[in-house]
Amino acid sequence: MRRLRLTPRRVAVVLAATVGIGAGVAYAATLTVGSWHLWAGSQTLTKGTCTLTGTTQTSDTYVTQATPGGTNGSATTMLVRSNSGSVDWSFVSFNLSSCSLPTTGGADTATLTLFITTAPASNRTLSLTPVLTTWSPTTLTWTAAQSLTYGSSATTSFTTGTTNNVSKSATLTVDVDALIKNPSASFGWRINDTTGSGNATTTFATSENVNAGRRPQLVINYEK
Amino acid sequence: MKHLTKALGLGLAAAATFTACAAAATLTIGSTTLSAGNASVTACTSSLSATRNVGNSGNVTQVNVAGIPTACSGETLSVTLVGSGNAALGSGSGTVGSCGTTCSVTITSFGATVSASNVTGYSFGLTGA
Repeated sequence: MRRLRLTPRRVAVVLAATVGIGAGVAYAATLTVGSWHLWAGSQTLTKGTCTLTGTTQTSDTYVTQATPGGTNGSATTMLVRSNSGSVDWSFVSFNLSSCSLPTTGGADTATLTLFITTAPASNRTLSLTPVLTTWSPTTLTWTAAQSLTYGSSATTSFTTGTTNNVSKSATLTVDVDALIKNPSASFGWRINDTTGSGNATTTFATSENVNAGRRPQLVINYEK
Repeated sequence: MKHLTKALGLGLAAAATFTACAAAATLTIGSTTLSAGNASVTACTSSLSATRNVGNSGNVTQVNVAGIPTACSGETLSVTLVGSGNAALGSGSGTVGSCGTTCSVTITSFGATVSASNVTGYSFGLTGA
């Protein structure tokens, strides 16, 4: 058998052949990319503001523990009181239908403004808790209010201060956002005094108040 | 024979090396040896739309994309929250699942806190096999 010597030329031939094999393998690998799905798209949102106030867009009332069967749906003011055995709760809700928002929309911000006509003598903390069952201002009583379903916790709270004739604002974005997506998600809010002990009353203007600027107002900055 | 064996050994080692290199850089070696071909890339949907939820502070807590065709099941959906000037405010991704008649994706992390007030739209990217 003839003896083969390792020369530079022979090494080069072997390397060239093996590079060709390598390239062939690589080419075969490129054929596997063809079955992928690719898609890109976008969605543009429309922004706007909707302001709700007045009797056609607002329902409000208050109920009093001292008169458990009484109604106050046509009162021009509503009370929030903390007093053992004589608690008052206020209720307010808004009809969003005039905003013409689709259920695919949402609230960027939602701010409730209430007007305090008579402030308590000492600063109080009032809480806004979503009401999860329906109520009517013409029929809601203290007794009936005990059977309503409420959110497990207050959405927000605010302090009254001690000055009469001032506006107070509260952010309710999360509740209004949910309400836009599901009109049955909630039915307004209960306002109650969560300061603790003490006898204090806060009086707010209602949607029936003769001064339109004092009525409850909900301003929604929305997207759709 | 001893020298031939040595040469073949060197050659096989080189083959292994070049094979690996070729697989990692297929675009650079082929102009004289690769033939042209077509690889089809298709889409499993033609449109998507999203809704989002917010916390009481007004920051986006989650983005929901529903109504995705079942053909997209298992694919990866990327969503970018777009602001003024097409600025990317945040982005996240999820796997298309929860399929019935259609599928959906819920994304809860965007890499940043994003105020819903600043979001003017969404960009979508859908990829998968």
